Amino acid sequence: MVSRFSAQMCAPARVPTYVSMFGPAIIAFARRPHKGREMQGPWPCREIPLSKDDKQNRAQVELPLDEHRILVANRGEIAMRIMRACRKLGVAFTAVYTAEDAASGHVRFARDNGDGKGLFRVSSYHDANELMAVADIAGCTAVHPGYGFFAEDFRFARRVAKRDRKMIFIGPSWKIIRELGDKINTKRLARSLGVPTVPGSDRPIYDEMEAERIAKSVFEFQEQQGIQRPLVLVKASAGGGGMGIEEVYDPDQFRSVYRRIRSYAMRQFKDEGVLIEQRITDFNHLEVQVVSDRSGRNPVHFGTRNCSIQSTGLQKRIEIAPGFAPETLQYTFNAERVLTDIVDYSLAMARKVGYDNVGTWEWIVTRKGEPFLMEVNTRIQVENGVSACISRVHGKEGVDLIAEQIRIGLGQPLGYTQADIATEGVGIEYRLIAEDPDNNFTPWVGRIERFEWQDAPWLTLLTHVPCDGPYEIPTEFDPNLALAIIWGKDLDEARERGLAFLNSLRLEGRNNAGEPLKSNVGFLRANTGHILHF
Amino acid sequence: MDNNIEKRIQSLRDRLSYLQDIFAGKHGDNANLLHERLETFTERARWGQLDDPHSEMASLEDLFAYVEKRLEECITPMDKVRIVRHPQRICLRDILENVYDNFTEVGGQDEHSLDPSMLIARAVITRRSGKKTYTQSVMVIGQEKGHGAEFRNGGSVKPWGNAKALQYMRVAETEGIPIHTYIFTPGSYPIEDNPGAAQQIARNIYGMAGLRVPVVAVISEGGSGGAEAIGLADKRLMLSHGYYSVISPEGAAAIEGRIKAGMRATPELIEHCAEHLRITAQDNLAFGYIDRIVQEPPLGARPWHFDFFRHLRQEVIRATDEVVISTRRMPLLKGMALSRRRKPDANMEEMFMRWDLSASARERLRDRRQQKFLRLSRHAARDRRPFWTKTASAFWDWLSKPWRTFKYDFYRKHQRHIRAVLEEVDNEWEQLKSRMLAPWRRLTGKADSTAAAQAREELTALSAWSGEGRKSKWNYLSPRYKVDRTITCPNSASYGCLDLWGPDLFAEFAGVCSHCGYHFPMEPEWYVKNVFDAGSVFEFNSEIEAGNPLDFPDFAPRIAEAQKKTGARSGCMTFEARIDDIKMVVAMLMGTFRGGSVGAAEGYKFVEAAQRAAKKRYPFLAYVHGTAGIRIQEGTHGVIQMPRCTVAVRRYIESGGLYMVLYDTNSFAGPLASFLGCSPYQFAVRSSNIGFAGPGVIKETTGMDIPPKYHRSYRALSRGHIQGIWDRRQIRANLKQALLTIGGRNLYYR
Amino acid sequence: MMDISALLDEIKAAPFREIVIATPHCGRVSFADLKPGDSVVGPQGQWKEKPGSHIATLEREHNPKPICALEKGEISLLHTELEGRFVEAGTPLAVLRHKLTREEVQRLILQKALHLFCAPERAKYYFIPEVDKKIRAADAHSVTVRDGMELLIMSRMKREVPLHYTGPDGVIYEIYFKINDNVNAGDPLIGVCPRDQLPVIQDVIMRVQTEWAEQG
Repeated sequence: MVSRFSAQMCAPARVPTYVSMFGPAIIAFARRPHKGREMQGPWPCREIPLSKDDKQNRAQVELPLDEHRILVANRGEIAMRIMRACRKLGVAFTAVYTAEDAASGHVRFARDNGDGKGLFRVSSYHDANELMAVADIAGCTAVHPGYGFFAEDFRFARRVAKRDRKMIFIGPSWKIIRELGDKINTKRLARSLGVPTVPGSDRPIYDEMEAERIAKSVFEFQEQQGIQRPLVLVKASAGGGGMGIEEVYDPDQFRSVYRRIRSYAMRQFKDEGVLIEQRITDFNHLEVQVVSDRSGRNPVHFGTRNCSIQSTGLQKRIEIAPGFAPETLQYTFNAERVLTDIVDYSLAMARKVGYDNVGTWEWIVTRKGEPFLMEVNTRIQVENGVSACISRVHGKEGVDLIAEQIRIGLGQPLGYTQADIATEGVGIEYRLIAEDPDNNFTPWVGRIERFEWQDAPWLTLLTHVPCDGPYEIPTEFDPNLALAIIWGKDLDEARERGLAFLNSLRLEGRNNAGEPLKSNVGFLRANTGHILHF
Repeated sequence: MDNNIEKRIQSLRDRLSYLQDIFAGKHGDNANLLHERLETFTERARWGQLDDPHSEMASLEDLFAYVEKRLEECITPMDKVRIVRHPQRICLRDILENVYDNFTEVGGQDEHSLDPSMLIARAVITRRSGKKTYTQSVMVIGQEKGHGAEFRNGGSVKPWGNAKALQYMRVAETEGIPIHTYIFTPGSYPIEDNPGAAQQIARNIYGMAGLRVPVVAVISEGGSGGAEAIGLADKRLMLSHGYYSVISPEGAAAIEGRIKAGMRATPELIEHCAEHLRITAQDNLAFGYIDRIVQEPPLGARPWHFDFFRHLRQEVIRATDEVVISTRRMPLLKGMALSRRRKPDANMEEMFMRWDLSASARERLRDRRQQKFLRLSRHAARDRRPFWTKTASAFWDWLSKPWRTFKYDFYRKHQRHIRAVLEEVDNEWEQLKSRMLAPWRRLTGKADSTAAAQAREELTALSAWSGEGRKSKWNYLSPRYKVDRTITCPNSASYGCLDLWGPDLFAEFAGVCSHCGYHFPMEPEWYVKNVFDAGSVFEFNSEIEAGNPLDFPDFAPRIAEAQKKTGARSGCMTFEARIDDIKMVVAMLMGTFRGGSVGAAEGYKFVEAAQRAAKKRYPFLAYVHGTAGIRIQEGTHGVIQMPRCTVAVRRYIESGGLYMVLYDTNSFAGPLASFLGCSPYQFAVRSSNIGFAGPGVIKETTGMDIPPKYHRSYRALSRGHIQGIWDRRQIRANLKQALLTIGGRNLYYR
Repeated sequence: MMDISALLDEIKAAPFREIVIATPHCGRVSFADLKPGDSVVGPQGQWKEKPGSHIATLEREHNPKPICALEKGEISLLHTELEGRFVEAGTPLAVLRHKLTREEVQRLILQKALHLFCAPERAKYYFIPEVDKKIRAADAHSVTVRDGMELLIMSRMKREVPLHYTGPDGVIYEIYFKINDNVNAGDPLIGVCPRDQLPVIQDVIMRVQTEWAEQG
């Protein structure tokens, strides 16, 4: 019980009323110790100096939850989850939608469950100006970005916090988003804490001779490791999203690739800096779910996830929590150890930066069991639900990480420690998508006419697709249709139930040409067999 | 009726209509009187009622002459403007026919010419000395208005016409013959087609600043840039009824009265401007911008004023002689020759003197011309530097000159030699060392495992990283970033840019649209603080202030207001600064100070900066945040900055300096058509507009609508006016790159 | 050969088009001084550089933006009840009764004469950068297309797919889509005029020029 004090100590004016899913512990805490004690508590109140934003936010922290109103700056499934979480917490919400999305489930949900200021039509989800204008007219006190769109846009977070009518950004503070959003910064931060990162340069290289020297040693390094076909990755340090990246397999080719990337970077990003790294090909993709309140001092984790089953475009399709199953499966390395290591590393970094909301540390784990930090996602992720479903706080089920994110985002203390969090069983999340896995996962466009499944107590299905009528898939957004989260007491049961769900699923539709709907259900079914196998 | 009488009646009719035209309705009673008398005379002559038609004719002519002489006394500046514009005004062809003894037109023929408004001819003057006759050649260059002939375009020369003029000036220089230029122009034709109005004028001025033959200019109608294109002369004569101005009175009135397109300024306002711009020959003589006035007959010279042509001939010969004499080295002979020619009754026809010059005389001629222009207009700027500062700086200049000569001309040269020798020695030593140590290396070379560990360390542990790449913060943010509002990108319709949030746009984005790259204008401070090394900026001559040298009505408070608003004393800030320790002198024209217009103070500071750069052997950068042109309220004090500053730039470049120009926002008119446009290295920041005249002026003068984006930097680049376009966020890096590549290792010397 | 006269007669029978002017985004509306029945004009000037009549001002985040008429016409409906109120994106503000101009008629008829290359899917479309540059620098007529050449980028579901042109070789005569707008499957993207068809196209233009009277 460490973290919970700071928010109040800094904002001692009134007692916030807590709403929580984990009843007793927090309500007990709500009877706050008397004033004298907080000032001399063993935890220095101002260890992390408050920035101007924090001071501003403090004013709003004082509001009880039911006086807050959250702008749900997103669409589809995540908008619905956020709105549900708001209802659970007793926080008012305002949703937005665009003309193309008028038939989406989130619009119907907002209309049915919101108040007079619950729903506004905007020109685009990408236009921050629209969101700000709606937030002002609806009187919102906070903005939840969901995932995608503005979730990791530090400028958006900064604008929310710094504009004349200030609001709370439900996410880490903009400075943290900016710091961890920068590949090089993150890598250097990790290295400064002894957290393993992909071997290679940790700063932009501008000099050709130096670049060649580093490339040479990356090749040699891999040979020493016994890697058969060493690969070097050259990427524009200012780039992102897969732009300006090239693989080199032959040391003699390095120079020409380097020059190509350098001039591409100069053209595209006005910066010649280039990063040179080992290219790791044989790995599993793991994640650590971190949660921390605004004090930023006592982050906890909600376990690990394995997201190795992906489309050819490296988009996740199945996520499993926990990240490995050492008690059921055989690994060539100490999987238990890897899981605790990446959790510890992640928390160490979170502590270092004063991480103050939910976030995900992404790791790659090689066949030898070496973990390397890839990046930090400073947002709630699609697959948060799969961690929640195996988590127990004070032994209780029904963890809702989005509700937790909102609660702590609005300034409430976490109210429990790592010791109060346990995990139970295995969770699987399937992403149901209208696409053609056999044809490079090309999205399928058309109208969904039938969408049914067999409900079960171990199943949570999240979708914005209405089930009571046909639905035209909008072409503007990600083609995700639904998320199915399945819980089982162990890996076998989870797999069994997953297959049972997939078999019960009825997903039908037609496109303009009259062709039937294509979906990834077959792909999901085929991959369920070897989940958590390295 | 007698044929002769009829002709003379016609000529009187012309004189009458001329008189009515130039006074525009004023002095109506006089005109009516003349009209009545002329009509009566004509009527009677037609019916043969005259006893002695010739003597009556003569007395009528006398009456005309009398009235003209009386009206001459109350002629106003605006009347003079109407005089020079009148189709009956003498034009260059009249001068060629009457002032010179023979001529051949070389720059085309009438309407079959590259540009019929620019007339170029080789002409000869025959002089007698004793029994001998001498024929002397000159190159005559000038605008031809052609008595209102349409194809002459009113003497408004197109860019290629000015290029033609420069070409023949060069021919004259090769042939070693003097150049006589005759300025009959309301201004240049403001189109940007290659070679570009402004850029060509700049080239002309730059060229004339270095001509090695005598140049004599005669001004009748001296309209701003068009006049300067052929006006940088050793002697500048001006016809007594001409005008020489920064802008037409109508143009000035439009600006003063803030007239919008399609509206007209009132005649009173135009008259007011004509008066206060001080555009007459007498005014300009008083300012020192012309050397002599050539007196015209009452109400201005017309083609039948043969006496006037004789007088003009005397004057141009005298002026040419004087220029030639001034290049002589012997002071005594020079004085004598000059004083002989300055006698009012001297007959130049009988005083022969050769007009070709020796090589050294040519150099002196050029230097004298340059010095003459550098001296002009200093009095028109308010120099608030305390007396002792000026004295001290002059003394310091004098004192440090030998040191500079030693440092740059001797030490630098030899230093390079010494370094070369040292490098050689060092090289040899390394070779020797490695050969000697080879056996030892072979013994210790086994320590491979530590090398591998080191490599591993390098690839997996935190590396040291210092240097510029790390910090990407701006040193200065536009104060507009404090306002919580959004701004619409002008390109949003075509590129779909979303509204930008002011605090992002004016701080982190450096005023650049993050979607399409459109550049919003930034404050001059932004450049001063973000382009140059922090703390390296050292301003000089800040005490030279913009003033109101013409006492233009209501202008002083406007200058004071601009000074208060910007905190600067003039529209030009001159400073020394560094980029990564490359030192340079910068002259910045600030668009925030009365549109960045250039007057006497700005010109003064620019010239001083160029001279400072030459003295210190620094590169010289003209950073044009914005300039709207010459400050019209300073009249010719402003216009004269065009040749002055160009001369300063030319002297700097020829002494070996690197002169670069960088345009931002809007750069137009005079400065562009002179000291900016003449730089061989001109770059522009994206979204800047560069041109001779703005769309309104083009519409007004040519009647043409110009397409939007006509003056955009990309167009200027395609036309060849500038050398490259830079992103604002890259100015620092690009400047450094340009300095290193254009300036080479030594940055200053070619 | 198509029957231009018949087409023209058909258009002449119904020469009006209703244009709904809606808000491009959220904001507070204030109307210009207009009333139903007033005439408004579209963009003016040789290069359409002057915006059309001011209909209303939409202010969002302290940034007032004018909403101007894009075509000439008569205001038939004005939602003045919205004056001073905050409205959502896409809220209708006014309805214009617009008589087809010569150019529009020309476009309508040309749509029948040109080879139309249509959108295969509902998506947003862009020209590939090289073509886009050419069009921005000069105009669409400067772009020659060949069968099978990569011409457009189709963007949907956050994926960008290159789209190859199919049809006769020729020049792009008309562009029917706007940047950032969704195009429905089957709607025309560009109209291509094969070289040998140019005289026919010229003929269409001539006919419209002479037979479509533009008044008031």
